[in-house]
Amino acid sequence: MAEKKIGKGMTSIGLWIGGIRPTKVIWFAGIVMMLLMVLAPVFVMVKYSISDRSSVVTGGLPIPLWPYHPTVEQFQGLAAMDTFVVSAFTSVKVALLSAVISLVVGTPAAYALVRFRFRGMMVLATLLISARLFPDIVSVVPIVETFIRLRLVNTLLGVAMAHALLSMPYVIFIAMGVFETIPRDLDEQAQVLGASKWHSFTRVMLPVALPGLAAAAIYVFLLSWDEFILAYFLLAFGNVSTLPVLLQKVLSWTPQHNLLAAISVMLSAPVILFTFMVQKYMQTGATAGAVK
Amino acid sequence: MATVKLRSISKEFGASEVIRNLDLVVDHGEFVTLVGPSGCGKTTVLRMVAGLEVITSGHLYIGHVLANHIPPRDRGVSMVFQSYALFPHMTVSENIAFGLKIKKYARSEMLKRIDWALNLLNLQGLESRLPRDLSGGQRQRVAFARAVVVEPEVLLLDEPLSNLDATLRLKMRIELKRIHKKLGATIIYVTHDQIEAMSLSDRVAIMHEGKLAQVGTPKEVYNAPGNAFVAGFIGNPAMNFFNGKIVRRDGGLFVDLGKFELSIPESLCKKCQSHLAREVSLGIRPEHIYDKRASKIESLPGNTIEMVTDVVEPLGDRDIVQVNKDGIHVTLLLDPEIETKPNKPMTIVFDMARCHIFDKETEKSIICTPSHGKTLEEPLLSPLE
Repeated sequence: MAEKKIGKGMTSIGLWIGGIRPTKVIWFAGIVMMLLMVLAPVFVMVKYSISDRSSVVTGGLPIPLWPYHPTVEQFQGLAAMDTFVVSAFTSVKVALLSAVISLVVGTPAAYALVRFRFRGMMVLATLLISARLFPDIVSVVPIVETFIRLRLVNTLLGVAMAHALLSMPYVIFIAMGVFETIPRDLDEQAQVLGASKWHSFTRVMLPVALPGLAAAAIYVFLLSWDEFILAYFLLAFGNVSTLPVLLQKVLSWTPQHNLLAAISVMLSAPVILFTFMVQKYMQTGATAGAVK
Repeated sequence: MATVKLRSISKEFGASEVIRNLDLVVDHGEFVTLVGPSGCGKTTVLRMVAGLEVITSGHLYIGHVLANHIPPRDRGVSMVFQSYALFPHMTVSENIAFGLKIKKYARSEMLKRIDWALNLLNLQGLESRLPRDLSGGQRQRVAFARAVVVEPEVLLLDEPLSNLDATLRLKMRIELKRIHKKLGATIIYVTHDQIEAMSLSDRVAIMHEGKLAQVGTPKEVYNAPGNAFVAGFIGNPAMNFFNGKIVRRDGGLFVDLGKFELSIPESLCKKCQSHLAREVSLGIRPEHIYDKRASKIESLPGNTIEMVTDVVEPLGDRDIVQVNKDGIHVTLLLDPEIETKPNKPMTIVFDMARCHIFDKETEKSIICTPSHGKTLEEPLLSPLE
């Protein structure tokens, strides 16, 4: 019995050592380096945001790896700073509004693209998504130019519409994926039971698609939340600003690192949080239809 | 309850014609099954009746109304999909109430009807469950309840039992028959399972490559198949077919199978005269071939062949036995009481009175001329034409 036990132990240790091959070591090192590259800026940002003044203004001494006296006073300062609070609310409003606009327009479009086969559909779908083929900066001039004529510059609606424009392709893409996973039978069943196409869309298809569409909404929200270029050109000469625009303004009056870092943390937190929350749906949305 | 009439219905998908000139009348209160191998177009027919598929040409009447261009919601039909298509975000009750709400039933009437449907399908206690919390059989019953609760003129069932396991399928088959008896509804049922078709229907419509091969009661299609396809499709195990030629010997007619000759009974001779010296296909069901030791009919030179057993499949109540000789394979059903072993000689007796003879080219039966279902009584009322 005893011999057998030892024998077993030996083999498992043998396997364990044998399991670590050079290729594995290289892969592992690669992953660690990737993590460092991704996490280092986050670490610096968080570190600064909780730094006290003496850890930032060191008078020639090297800046410490961890603040001497970690503090939340920067955040307290932000909460008391009117421009920050107003900008944060502006950002939320713009993001919500752009999510609503792009969903209200994008969802029916996606449904139509998935359900009704018609000539030129692929061309249309490609065109709808082509907005993302150009760098954002390219669309700034035409959008700002148009919005000036429509008197939409320096308005929340204007920024929200611009953001909706940017996010529409994503909404359509995600929503198409969502609708593709919903069996056609449900739609047909509703119609046989007496529902009109519209009734079937609102009472059956939309509720079933809701979790996926919520993911799209959050995605749009985040895209708007941290969008800078369009917001900057549309709001730069007015009194309202979104958080990223405020950050730029604060940057331009040579502030302290720790204040900037605190704003950055406030800007990033919802993105990180929501991305974790909707990750599952994002993947479903992206791969739906691929396995069919 | 309504009569459904399909009159030279055709359906084309692009360039391919999937349904060709289909004529079928389903009487009110009748249970008719469309059965056929996959791809024969049976589901397409059902979907055309439901209004989910556009009819390329021909006329569809539900009741006495031309229904070709009536949208699904106004046809007065209900359908149970193969996938059940339960609305996943609604409870059992909400699912069942869906159609009633649209049809604007009064609340008290609605509750009464839901209750009735829940009772009919033994769903009491599951009212507030979501579809994902139900078993396959329960989902199936909810789909049925939702379809019958709106009192449809016609109930369309698309392979509703195919997703259930074998035991449950048998149970639901009986349940379905009971529901039909209770409701007296006009039902069009689609299945690829010929046993389901035979056991459930008043009449069976066998489809093959977009056409009706034969329509008749289960007994008719079993006893008097009009063509080789129906003969081979109905019956389990499938009918044996042998290629041969009709020849005259000593004043009687025989089918010459090359190595053997089987005598055609006198009662069938007259019909076979026309095919004398022509190629035919002889069909005989496994249940109409006997082991000589236990033959129900007299063994004569004209119906008896020596063969060798090949494979024996014991099923308990009967054995399916394959025998062969000289390249001719025969399947027969035997009483398990008689011991049958592989690779042993066996004398088999053909009950030639129950044989079928088909023209080799047209595949039509020489001896049975089936009534092709119901003929369309003319003139049909067609107010919209």
